[in-house]
Amino acid sequence: MKKGRIRIWDLNKTFTENNEELCAIENLTLRIGTGEFVSIVGTSGCGKSTLLRIIAGLEKPTRGMVTCDGIDITAPSPNRGLVFQEHALFPWMTIRKNIVFALKSSGRYSKYADTITPLLEKAGLAEFANAYPHQLSGGMRQRAAVIRSLAVSPDVLLLDEPLGALDSFTRMLLQDELIRLWQERQNTMIMITHDVDEAVYLSNRIIVMSPRPGRITEIVNVPMSYPRNRASSEFSNLRTRLLKQLNFAADVEQDYYL
Amino acid sequence: MKKRLICLLPLIITIAIILQYEFAPNFRTFTALDRNAPTHVFSIFMGFFAAGFAVWNVLSVFSQKAFDALRKKAPIYTVALVLLLMYDILTLTMGFLPQPFVPWPDAILNAIIRDREILQLSLFHSLRLLFTGYGIGVVAGVLTGVAAGWSSRVCYWVQPVVKVFGAIPPVTWLPIILVLFTNLFVGAVTLIALAVWFPVTSTTMNGVLSVPKINFEAASTFGVTKFGMIFNIAIPASMPFIFQGLAQGMSIACTALLIAEMMGVTAGLGWYINWQRGWAEFAGMYAAVLIIAVTFFAVNAVLNLLRRYALHWKGDVV
Repeated sequence: MKKGRIRIWDLNKTFTENNEELCAIENLTLRIGTGEFVSIVGTSGCGKSTLLRIIAGLEKPTRGMVTCDGIDITAPSPNRGLVFQEHALFPWMTIRKNIVFALKSSGRYSKYADTITPLLEKAGLAEFANAYPHQLSGGMRQRAAVIRSLAVSPDVLLLDEPLGALDSFTRMLLQDELIRLWQERQNTMIMITHDVDEAVYLSNRIIVMSPRPGRITEIVNVPMSYPRNRASSEFSNLRTRLLKQLNFAADVEQDYYL
Repeated sequence: MKKRLICLLPLIITIAIILQYEFAPNFRTFTALDRNAPTHVFSIFMGFFAAGFAVWNVLSVFSQKAFDALRKKAPIYTVALVLLLMYDILTLTMGFLPQPFVPWPDAILNAIIRDREILQLSLFHSLRLLFTGYGIGVVAGVLTGVAAGWSSRVCYWVQPVVKVFGAIPPVTWLPIILVLFTNLFVGAVTLIALAVWFPVTSTTMNGVLSVPKINFEAASTFGVTKFGMIFNIAIPASMPFIFQGLAQGMSIACTALLIAEMMGVTAGLGWYINWQRGWAEFAGMYAAVLIIAVTFFAVNAVLNLLRRYALHWKGDVV
């Protein structure tokens, strides 16, 4: 049976800071199916990072339930990989050692040891396998972080703005790579992004969140097939719809009203 | 052309030192019975340097790398050699510096040769004491530092100890240790280990505390165990800090070593200096100082090599 189903029931998360309760997520319910590519968009402070960290098991919900394949998420697990905004490679290990360490720690080394070299090749990092993270460019580091998480072959890969710090050309290249890796692995992908284009280009479903308190305002299905055309009218219609939802494409004329 | 000349300067000064030493008249006449009567040892010693600089100059004609290195180092070598030349003039040639308290280079070299067996033994005793104490202090310091950085409960108890006792200069413990320990070797080891323990503990603790949280979070998503978190994440990530403590600890250990040897331990280079002073053997004192300088320089150079090897993943290590 395929794995990687995420169920979230009535999730609430509050942080206490200076004796003030801050509601990061309020009454959030969501189901994500096996092999889905889901993007979460929203302005900063809408609790999307918190949501991802809860799914990863790094934070505990204040109320509600989050399960993966029917099992309560209480702690991080190799079944749910997380790619951080800042690559989070271990700087004292070479790229290959980073991957080997991840595999050995998850107890999957013997099973996936042979996949390391092909993965490195696919990510264009074969000749940098023995380089240290500081010797790589930002894009290479991010790619290395993605394949390190993929090497463990998690059922769910969580991506917290993995391409946010990159220039737009590198970003588009990596987006294609992400799609390829996802189609090959057929795992569940949950990605946070600030970039509406990125969300439309990559995902089956886009979840729009609003801040204070963080809640889902809309779920948009993206029925286009892969690879997608960024210049198509379908693409731009969806993008406009999302931008409106995020209050960035309001009636522009009003600004110039005299 | 001018650069070439600068590169030749160390060689020229070295030859000048030899000529000055061999041919300039001494400030007094020496008999064969005189313990410090000038010999050719200093000339031979400087001859090695002259040969070295000559070879380097020849190499620099063919190799750009050798040339750049020589060009970079030549000014400081020249100044050092000029100072040596002046020192020899002020002592042996002019007798300007108070004699016999400031011996000339040849006398110091001869003292090393004359007393080589005792000096070797002293060096061995000093190094044994230094590394026993340093080793114990480093192991204990890294262990407590990691424990305190890892667990806030350990930190609660360790931090005040480091703050209060670490503020006391280690030498202050010496009289107490001399009273408490009948075996002075064990006493001196304790003193050095204690002196090293404080800086290593506090830097290691700060190192572990300053490991970015993201490293632990990333590791936890791979299922890294608690043991792995300490040994594969916390310790390697805090290596830059640990090495800072190792360097600090080494300089404190060297100081503590010499003070222990000068005040109680009856072996080692510190003891040798005192012993020579007792016999008014000033050349011997200077000989030991020279050996101490070379030894500590070498020890620190080795430590630095180790640091560069251990931190080569950082890229900006000098």
